[in-house]
Amino acid sequence: MGEIVSEADKITVMDMEASLEHLSRGTVRHVDVLLIVTEPYYRSLETARRTLPLARALGINHIYAVVNKYRSVEDEKAVTDFCRDNELEIIAKIPFDSNVTQADLQGMSLYDFNSASPVVGEVEKLAVTLRERVPLNNSSATKILSKPNC
Amino acid sequence: MKIGISGKGGSGKTTISATLARVFARQGFPVLAIDGDPNPNLGMALGLSVQSLEETPAIPRGGITTRVQDDDGKMRMILTDTVENIAALHGIAAPDGIRLIIGTKVETAGAG
Repeated sequence: MGEIVSEADKITVMDMEASLEHLSRGTVRHVDVLLIVTEPYYRSLETARRTLPLARALGINHIYAVVNKYRSVEDEKAVTDFCRDNELEIIAKIPFDSNVTQADLQGMSLYDFNSASPVVGEVEKLAVTLRERVPLNNSSATKILSKPNC
Repeated sequence: MKIGISGKGGSGKTTISATLARVFARQGFPVLAIDGDPNPNLGMALGLSVQSLEETPAIPRGGITTRVQDDDGKMRMILTDTVENIAALHGIAAPDGIRLIIGTKVETAGAG
């Protein structure tokens, strides 16, 4: 097939470890976008709040919260208020979706289990928003060895 | 575009990472997925079988990382090659043409 698409069109998705270690060690310093997944409860939101200054210090340009597993209008409002008060910009709101646990029980990916599930739908919207906000070609593998903020 | 996904354990970051990777891949983008979690689940979330993941050989540690000293004196690990080359050499083929690198599949070099 050959290289039809250019290197600049590549998309890297990095699932990071749960702790803030990854950020403080700087192993993600060259991501273009950091998505902070947060659930609508206090400890999860608090982790998101503490992640923000670390990510900013690393010079990551695009830092967004992804609200996940909200179950009610109240949940959604509480997270939205928290994020607004803490300068966390929300890029996606994903509802609780039983398809996720059902897929897991069957050892399947969510996409293969039900590509019409609410989570897949919201992630499709997220992909569109990311493409609108982040230029595809502003990353390059050669940046691995360069310094941030230079 | 390089996208990092963080969050507390159980927040759903692996499901979102995998689904985002699949969505972009199905739109025709070449996608590299990196599992940086010490308890790796991204492969299964992408749709790989346990068997295929277990059969994947480990990546020789010395082959892809080296230690360097930062300006502030701290040591850190860096990759010796571009992520693209590492993915081509050591990546696992996942659904929709995604290449997957699993961090814990890098061999650990004994004690210390």
